[in-house]
Formats: sequence, structure tokens, C-alpha cells
Amino acid sequence: MDKMIDDEILVTQFKAGSQKAFDTLMKRYERRIFGYLLRSVRNYEDAEELTLEVFFKAYRALPSWQPKAKFSTWLYTIASNLSIDYHRSKARKPEFIFEDEEIIETRLVATDISSNPEKQLEEKERGRIIREAVDELSSKQKSVFMLTRYEGLQIKEVAETLGMAEGTVKIHLHRAMKKLQTILQPLWDNNEI
Amino acid sequence: MPKCKKFEAQAIDYAYGELDTALVSKFEHHLTTCNSCTRKVKDFERVLHLVDEAEGEFLPHPIAPHNLEMRLYRRLAEVPAEKPTLLTRLSEYVSKSLFILQEQKVASLCLFIAAVISIAFFVGNPMQNGPDDYVANGLDSADARIEQYQRQDIQRSMEDVLRNKHLRNSDSWDTVSQLNRVSDRAQGTDLANIAKKHLKNVNSDF
Repeated sequence: MDKMIDDEILVTQFKAGSQKAFDTLMKRYERRIFGYLLRSVRNYEDAEELTLEVFFKAYRALPSWQPKAKFSTWLYTIASNLSIDYHRSKARKPEFIFEDEEIIETRLVATDISSNPEKQLEEKERGRIIREAVDELSSKQKSVFMLTRYEGLQIKEVAETLGMAEGTVKIHLHRAMKKLQTILQPLWDNNEI
Repeated sequence: MPKCKKFEAQAIDYAYGELDTALVSKFEHHLTTCNSCTRKVKDFERVLHLVDEAEGEFLPHPIAPHNLEMRLYRRLAEVPAEKPTLLTRLSEYVSKSLFILQEQKVASLCLFIAAVISIAFFVGNPMQNGPDDYVANGLDSADARIEQYQRQDIQRSMEDVLRNKHLRNSDSWDTVSQLNRVSDRAQGTDLANIAKKHLKNVNSDF
């Protein structure tokens, strides 16, 4: 039933005093926003906090919000800005990870494997390397890539979300693809994939 | 193999599924004659396949954050809403007016001028928030929800002080100060009376 109601109608209902309308909007988008932020920051707790912040900001700003784009686009805009701030503050405060932690993590992974431990470990390691390659992208390149690839946004919607021209979005996307190819190419050149 | 730079962007768009439909057949024709572009498309498709696989492994199904609704309303109860500054109200007022002007141009212009004149003459300052604005904005039920969470929060503090501190003599001073805080926060509600009653008991125990 809820799915039948457009976001715009729910926004109007919220502005008219319906708290339930905001709850419906939140239920509708919490998974998507959380997934986007989780991929962006790669940390469950931080992604949860950021998701809370997105809806907190949306709740406070919604009564005076003028719809120039779709509601979902607006939510992604808030999420993208928060993610950029997060990465900026992380860059200012570098985290020191002890090498031992990584070894422990590898051991933990190795203990929960049942059938073919070596192969599964290799696959997990490969997945980690690939995700690290994605994290190597600049925050704008990564946002463009994630929004188009995993959030199903059109180039035009990404442009609205990130406040840039469609041409600029394409440039970021091309650079992201070339960078990923440069980083990942050695994997298949060395027959590791 | 000679590199074909001319179609590199199209190779990316093609692999990504973003190539303009009008260009697809022309590019596919180019692929039949250009090994460099064919290889590039394969490489980009491979990149996407690998990244999709790794991201799918990282987050196989969409998941919801834990207890988001309750945490949001608790946060809303804790952080008071900022009162809009004069500058914010002014810019909001201007942007609202511009939005209407863009939509309905001439009719809106006349209506806007008439509205500004009538507001200036009969109402006074159009940017001043009236006491009923929150009800008019439809936030009454949100306020009720926030109040409810605030009440629950106070109740939790009260339970905490009674359960954890009240019975331990060494914490008497701490108990009194926490009960005082609860009593202050619960001003005007029945919880304040309960807190005062417990305060009396604690003080008589000294």
C-alpha cells in the first residue's frame, strides 16, 4: 500500500503534519542510504551513524524544502556530502593499524572455512584487493561510480545529486573506470584471476 | 597493436551500458575492425564484473540500520531545533517568491506585489514567526513524538537513579544531584512530583 504513494505526496503529508509519512519515507530509503554509505565508508558503525545523520538532517530541513529534484536525489545529496566530510575528517586523523591485526583477521577468515579453505581464502583476498582498488578512487569518482552502478541513478540524477554538470559526471566516471583498469589489470596479466 | 584513442570514451560507455543508443550500432561496427577497442571493451567489462562480484560479496543483500526510527526520534529530542536566523528567513522568503515567479510568471508577479503590499500594510513583518507556525507547518504530531521520547528518557533516568544508586549509601550525594536533574527536566509533569518525593526520602535518610 505504502509503495503506491509517491514520495512527493508523502513529503506534502509530512509538511501537513503527518509523522507517519516521514516514517514511511524513512522505511523506504533506509536500506538504500545505509548501503550507499556502507560501501562508501566501509565501516558498519560509522555507516549507521551517518545514516542517522542523513535522516536527522532531512527531518529538520524537510518543512522548508523546495523540491527542485526528486526526494531520493535530495537524500543521496545529503548522504554524499556527509560521506565527503567523513573522508575529509578521516584524512586529517590518520588511523594507525597494527600489522598484527591484519594477520589476526586473515587467521579468523581461515578458521571459518569448511570445504576448500585455500580457494575461499584466495577469493576473499581477491575481493578485498578489488574493494581497496575502488576505495583508491577519489571521493567524487567513487560517488559517481557507486551512485550509477549500485544505486541505479541515471547520469542526470547523479549530476543533480552531486551538484555538477552531466559532462563532469561522465568525466569522473571515465576516470574511475580507467583508474580501476590500471589498478586491476596486473591481476589478470599475472593470471591471478 | 596500434592504440585507438578516438573511441576510448565510447568503449567505456559501451561496457558500462551508458553509450547513447544512436551511437551503439556505429561503435559496434567500429569494433569489427578495431582490435584495440575490442580489447578495451573486454577489459572494462572484466573490471565491472570483478567489482560487482567484490561489492556483492561485501554487501550481499540490502540491510537496514539497527533501530533507526527510535534513534532518530531520540536524537531529535536531544538536539533542539535551531531557530532560523533573520538571514535564513529572508533567503527562504526570497527563494519561495522566486520559485512562484518562475512557475507562473506574470500572474504570480501581480499576485506577489499585491501580497507584499497587503502584508506590509495589514500584517506587519512578513518574516516573523508567529506562535502558531509550528501547528501551521504541521509539526504538532512530530512535537508530540519528541515529547514522548523525552518523557521516556526522563523515566529511564529516574529508573536508573532508583535502581542503581538509591539503595547504596555511598552514592547519596550522587543520587540527590541526579534526582534534582530529573526533577528539573520533568518540570510541569507528574514525573517531577515523583522525583521530588524520592528526593525527600533520600534527604530524610541523611
